[in-house]
Amino acid sequence: MEIDLQTNLAFYLTGKRLNDQLDAVDGLNLRPALFSGYRDLTSLRYDFPLVLVDSRQDGASDGPCFEPLSGLIDDILEKVAKGANSDRIGKHVLRLEQDIRTQVTRGASGRFSALWDQAALPLGKGDQLIADSLSHARANLKIDGEVVDCNAALPYRLLGHAWHINQTQRALQFGRDIKRLELKLTDIIKADFVNSDAGKSAEVLRSSFGTGPMDHFDFEAMSRILAKSSRRDSLSETRRNRVTNLLATLQSQQFFPMSEANAGKPYGFDFDSCVDALAAYRQRLPKLIELARAVAIAELEIKGEYNDAKHDPLFDSFGENGLEAGDLARFPDYLVRLNAGNMTGLEHSTLTEILAVDLPIKILFQTDDVIEESPLGNGHLAFALRSRQLASMSMGMNGVFVLQSPASNLCQLHQQIRRGLDYPGPALFSIYSGASPSCGELPPYLVGAAALESRVFPAFTFDPAAGRDWASRFSLETNPQATLDWPLREFAYEDENLQTVAERMPFTLIDFVACDARYSKHFARIPKTRWNGALTPVGDVLAREDRGHLDSVPSLNMVNPENSLQKVIVDEKLIREARRCRDMWNSLQELGGIHNSHAERLLAREKEIWLETVDLAGAAAASAITAITAAAAVPSAATVPADPPPADQAAEREAERSPDEAYIETSRCSTCNECTQINDKMFAYDENKQAYIADPGAGTYAQLVEAAESCQVSIIHPGKPRNPNEPGLEELLKRAELFL
Amino acid sequence: MSCSTTDCLLELYDEQHELEDYQSGVPRWCTGCGDNAILAAVQRLCRDEGLRPEKTVFVSGIGCSSRFPHYMKTYGFHGIHGRALPIAEGIKMVRPDLAVFVNTGDGDCCSIGAAHWIHAVRYNMNLTVFLHDNQIYGLTKKQASPTSPIGTKSNTTPRGSYLDALNPLSVTLGVANASFVAQAVDWIPESLFEIVKAAYHHRGLSFVRILQRCPEWLSKSFDPWMQDTDRIQLLHHENALRLSAGLSKTYRNQREHDPLDMNRAREIASSEDVIPVGILYQNREIPRYEETRQTGVLRTIETVRQGFEAELDKYTV
Repeated sequence: MEIDLQTNLAFYLTGKRLNDQLDAVDGLNLRPALFSGYRDLTSLRYDFPLVLVDSRQDGASDGPCFEPLSGLIDDILEKVAKGANSDRIGKHVLRLEQDIRTQVTRGASGRFSALWDQAALPLGKGDQLIADSLSHARANLKIDGEVVDCNAALPYRLLGHAWHINQTQRALQFGRDIKRLELKLTDIIKADFVNSDAGKSAEVLRSSFGTGPMDHFDFEAMSRILAKSSRRDSLSETRRNRVTNLLATLQSQQFFPMSEANAGKPYGFDFDSCVDALAAYRQRLPKLIELARAVAIAELEIKGEYNDAKHDPLFDSFGENGLEAGDLARFPDYLVRLNAGNMTGLEHSTLTEILAVDLPIKILFQTDDVIEESPLGNGHLAFALRSRQLASMSMGMNGVFVLQSPASNLCQLHQQIRRGLDYPGPALFSIYSGASPSCGELPPYLVGAAALESRVFPAFTFDPAAGRDWASRFSLETNPQATLDWPLREFAYEDENLQTVAERMPFTLIDFVACDARYSKHFARIPKTRWNGALTPVGDVLAREDRGHLDSVPSLNMVNPENSLQKVIVDEKLIREARRCRDMWNSLQELGGIHNSHAERLLAREKEIWLETVDLAGAAAASAITAITAAAAVPSAATVPADPPPADQAAEREAERSPDEAYIETSRCSTCNECTQINDKMFAYDENKQAYIADPGAGTYAQLVEAAESCQVSIIHPGKPRNPNEPGLEELLKRAELFL
Repeated sequence: MSCSTTDCLLELYDEQHELEDYQSGVPRWCTGCGDNAILAAVQRLCRDEGLRPEKTVFVSGIGCSSRFPHYMKTYGFHGIHGRALPIAEGIKMVRPDLAVFVNTGDGDCCSIGAAHWIHAVRYNMNLTVFLHDNQIYGLTKKQASPTSPIGTKSNTTPRGSYLDALNPLSVTLGVANASFVAQAVDWIPESLFEIVKAAYHHRGLSFVRILQRCPEWLSKSFDPWMQDTDRIQLLHHENALRLSAGLSKTYRNQREHDPLDMNRAREIASSEDVIPVGILYQNREIPRYEETRQTGVLRTIETVRQGFEAELDKYTV
């Protein structure tokens, strides 16, 4: 074995550099080769910074509650960049956008409009044209809000903002409901007063007339007349008390901020600890139940449907077993924002408790480091372990909305975030900020995106409200190239002969770990002089299930700060970890219906059976396929079961009936009263007001025949006479023949 | 999670009604009159849908059919000739929570009330309108109405009427915002009930023309269609009405018709040889006037007073 290979293999197997043929990567400032194009993010138009869009006062906003800066700029340009000046305005506004982005990356914060003004001032100073373009565009800046970059504070602020908007809309709706109930309840009391003796006194009547020529009216006389006129019953004392108490409860509620009439300060629902949130929830529960009960009773009361005897017992025990999610949906949700780094044992157990019992609590679980070492020590790795544990536990509870994603990807998930906040029950938002302190100069956006690409921190949603099965609930849709183990990316570089070499390479866990200074010992750089065939790209090694022949070592393409290509070999520990990461991803894929093993086995079995059929009778099978295709193309009655027709009861009855018996085709009766006018004992109407023969003995055969003849829709059949001695039978039977 | 526990509790003691709870008095209509069948179908609808009598209003104009509100034990408004629709619109505007029905006749709706009819269709408020069409003025003892077939001999047209009859279906289908147009006949109670039910469930103005026999003044008018079941064409579609086994056995002439197909609906509406029965047109997307005009502002005494004062202030000298 060559010495080179021996050195490489020794590193591969042990992680030790035996001699100086391999360079330590510490201090070389290498980054994965695929990052070579992303040195300066401020020159790129990408999802960040985001604008946390203000809520509209009418609460009718359906748009996303945050939007990328570039999207808002595009919207503005669409409105202003028209006609001859479109190119110029476009160029100037895009330059402004880049300036804002640079400022925000450097730590500037503030509202979109303020940042715009700050950036526009120096740009427009020396150039009238720029000033003109920017002021035109500025007039179209209609959407405003705080601007945030992708950094450690983003998940906290973004989720807080989305939650706040959601709560504002709920408060508006609830406020409207409460106001309506208050108005109607007050009306009940007012109406009672107007009906009372006091309400009809001359004094009250006078004051109700407002201003004007009052001496034209004799209010005393008016009062006397009104007092004498019939009076409706006044409110019972119980009802009056009930209505007054309801009003007091509604007016003193502290769950939503209300106007002047509100007695108490509204509760806060935003917490940084599960323990505190749970304690607040428990403490407020009796008040919540009282309010929910008051709203329910008030609804009945204003419709005049409240019945003491029936409803009292029902509402006495209201909420004894807590309120269900549907009832809680109109009240505020709690928001708890946690950071994985600060979690204590008590917090963990309380979090589990909250998620297990369907409390209306939304949890943000922010992780800043996904590739930490296991608490076991001894170099054990526990990549993304905590978030994985939490997410799978929550999904296992079945009633928790779960969203996991790196912060860099949140922009695409605004609908899912809204669904989670609307979900009537607990929701867990597990977000990786990308702001890992050991990632050096790499911007958090890039680290977050790399975590997503490398499947270390995949994005998914589990929405229990979307359906009952995994296919409807679970989605992996925002992951790049979700059907593959690792996403494949184009990579191009120039070789020594200045020729472009392009290849497709996967972005794997190894690339992600290579960004982290803590794991530099697992990598070693090979000087260019020793690049040879015994280096296998990491992707190919990972595709194998085992170590294989020890004739090469896995190598990774990286770049140094000058953007020149470097090859780095990786030790086996990381390769094992990467395979584990891929296995985890594969099991997520199965949940998401990608390469589902059950489905694939079933498919294989069916294919086998089909192939056998083909072998048995080729021609017959061919026609079968045509039939199947035709059936699939046209969902006819054979494939789509139609609603069963209503049971033909009439037909059944008809079958049972003796031919001599008189009968009516009741379902065809048009309620014209002809028969019932002839004999209302013999003919009667059923519960749908359609005629039937109630008692054939209640009249004569002559009446039956007469009814049959006068029936507008000819549905009376007189049958055979019951009394053989009835006069004129012969003639009647002849007439009846027409209706047999 | 369409209904929470509390919502269910609120409905726990909702009253159940029988057909008798909606009956009021003995109809004064002639024996054999098709209005009786319409009354039975509507009372059945009220019972089956659990409509609360105090939340239900029947509005009518003048004519035989317009006696309808008298026979319903609900709220009612027996209006003046041709004005049933504006009254119903007013009721719906201030009390959108009520179920509002309109019963009008061919004279009431298509003659003196024609202007209101056209605009009511255009407003598309959530009303259920039944046009009782017996093709004659019955209450005033036989005068030709706009829908009387050409040649109808009556007290006003002793030599037979000179004009072709107006087709209420084609007219309604020609008005902007028409959202539900159906036709029923009083002598097929099953389909009459199904159409009445579909009309009630439609959100918007549902216009149902019900061909109705007048045994007193035009007794033979519908005989050709009653005696030959093939001259009744039942319309059906998966998005409209489906036919029961019993009905399809009796009435063989059936036609599948998509209620969103306006052109085909107009073609069907002008059939002369057969009477189409079913939903000709239904579009659930057309906005309701009362909803588009809703401001969401609670009408307290204070807001009304403020509104008044603001208006009056404009004229302060």
